[in-house]
Amino acid sequence: METKNMMKYVSILSVFAVVGMFAYLVHASKLFSYLTEDPKVCINCHTMNTQYATWQHSSHRERATCVECHLPQESLFNKLLAKSRDGFKHSYAMTFRTYEGQEISASESAQERIQANCIACHREIVSQIMANAKLYEVKDDSGQIDRKCWSCHRFVPHGRARGLNATPDNLGVKEI
Amino acid sequence: MKRSTLLTFVSVAAIVPIALLAISINENKAEQKELATVPPIKKLESRSSEWGKHYRRQYDSYMQTRKSDKIKDMLQDSPALVVLWAGYGFSKDYNAPRGHYYMLEDNINTLRTGGPVDAITGPMPTACWTCKSTDVPRLIDKIGEMDYFTGKWARHGSEIANPVGCGDCHDNETMRLTITRDFLKRGLDAEGSLKAADATHQDMRSLVCAQCHSEYYFKKTEWTDKNGEKKTAGVVTFPWDNGFSAEAMETYYDDISFVDWTHKVSKTPMLKAQHPGYEIFKTGAHGLNNVACADCHMPYVREGGVKYSSHNVSSPLEQMASTCMNCHNEEEKAFKDRVARKLERKTELNKTAMDVIAKAHLEAGKAWELGATEAEMKDILQDIRHAQWRWDYSIASHGSFFHAPEETLRILGSAINKGQDARVKLRAVLAKYNAGDFTAPDFSTKEKAQEVVGLPYQKLVDEKMTFLDGLRKEWIEQQKQKGLYDPAAWEGLVFNTSYAPARTSAEVVKK
Repeated sequence: METKNMMKYVSILSVFAVVGMFAYLVHASKLFSYLTEDPKVCINCHTMNTQYATWQHSSHRERATCVECHLPQESLFNKLLAKSRDGFKHSYAMTFRTYEGQEISASESAQERIQANCIACHREIVSQIMANAKLYEVKDDSGQIDRKCWSCHRFVPHGRARGLNATPDNLGVKEI
Repeated sequence: MKRSTLLTFVSVAAIVPIALLAISINENKAEQKELATVPPIKKLESRSSEWGKHYRRQYDSYMQTRKSDKIKDMLQDSPALVVLWAGYGFSKDYNAPRGHYYMLEDNINTLRTGGPVDAITGPMPTACWTCKSTDVPRLIDKIGEMDYFTGKWARHGSEIANPVGCGDCHDNETMRLTITRDFLKRGLDAEGSLKAADATHQDMRSLVCAQCHSEYYFKKTEWTDKNGEKKTAGVVTFPWDNGFSAEAMETYYDDISFVDWTHKVSKTPMLKAQHPGYEIFKTGAHGLNNVACADCHMPYVREGGVKYSSHNVSSPLEQMASTCMNCHNEEEKAFKDRVARKLERKTELNKTAMDVIAKAHLEAGKAWELGATEAEMKDILQDIRHAQWRWDYSIASHGSFFHAPEETLRILGSAINKGQDARVKLRAVLAKYNAGDFTAPDFSTKEKAQEVVGLPYQKLVDEKMTFLDGLRKEWIEQQKQKGLYDPAAWEGLVFNTSYAPARTSAEVVKK
């Protein structure tokens, strides 16, 4: 009888412990910040300090946040799907340190989204370019060539700085 | 298995990965915090090499300002200056400015600051240190603004140890741009078009420069120290209440009957324009488009993959690819030629103005000599005062011919006009005393000009050398004891002036 009672308390206690630990995890990881569009969320960890700093020193900081370029904008469903998928990939890479020793670069699917967002915002300027590209630079059956905006505009908006030490003194208490 | 046992088992199984994840997250956060921490630098640290330990590139580029080391004797170049400033420090010694690195050295070496033998001798007040050293904000913070601005220049000799540097413009905790001289804030608030509190980052990229590159005077201010003793401070003050223009400041000075000095030859109650660089800049094309000083004088440069702003403050023409060419699409040579032409235009009017006003002084001197009365001379002296003020305002900041060519030439034109007004009136007075054909004596060289105005040049040099080999060395010893002396700021410095042979610091020590 006593053991049974004790087991009951232990089990209740352990459930509380799990809930408590989980609550702490939510707090420590700033979980809810990921539901916002604040660019500072992308530097919750240090991995993207350079990307943040270069963007923050570019003209795009006045117009476009990280997610406005890097997530699909055409539908909320696709946006959330992409956010969760990228979020999982990034958390995995960060936790198991699989990114170390590699240059961070946008995946193919991310590149498609970014390109679509470039075009969406700069539609009026690039519409003729797009039309010309379709007419004269046909590469495959889809009628699209695979050059991206940044194949030429290589410094927009992140510059070519890649390593952490390429953007010294750019964050500090000013941002965090 | 019982339900409670199962629950416990599952819970523990969940806790383990959650705990591991929490540890991992905290490690990542600690890393980020460490990376984003600004290194500890003391509040108002005056030794730039201390900042340089953490901001190597900025510091190294700042130290490059030592390459701007040529002494160009402006009095030799334009002997008329000696006549214009007769009775005032600038007629003793005046060189074109060198790099930031030399600011304190040149302030100490110039004949203007004289040869004090103790803390209470010498011609200049403490205010003359104000724009020369990072130790100024530190000292003001330590003893208070009023106390700082009280007494003779030599009083602070043992405290002022480092040339203008990091601490003059940067906050030690955030590296943000900051105004360390409150008189700029007071000036801005009085002028009103940009209140100090409203300054944006882009504004700050000019305002940190405007702390010193502006017109100012030493305002006599009574104060009582903590022992109840009444004292008078000479507080650096910007005459901006009526606006930035030459006329607005002229009215300001006239309204308070301010006089910098009385001219030795013409007895004119004179004004000395310092260097209204910021004020004139704001009227030019770049200033009107809110281009900041730093945009052209501290351009972003790349070293490998690193981009930072060069702290080698210098002429933008020396690195046009990273300055002018960022905005202008033109050939460098065409650009340089155009700037050179702007300078020629200013030089032409500048020479005329100096000649006219110098002659006006000498002719006024002759009129006094012949017995002219105060009533006869009053209007003339007012014309000379205004003429010289306007001339000085227009050229004293050196860069005005480029920053705002139209404004510069406009003011020079009005200076010449005022000067000639004085001379027309003077001719009538001279004629009255039978000297209608008087010709001003020759002042075509620095030596002749100094003789004309009666300047004991060799005595000044001797006093200065005695000071440099005596009191100056005591100051350095005291600075070392106080931990203010920064060897990096002085090592290898060559003693270079317009009045004595150059020598290295090692030779100075030997002597």
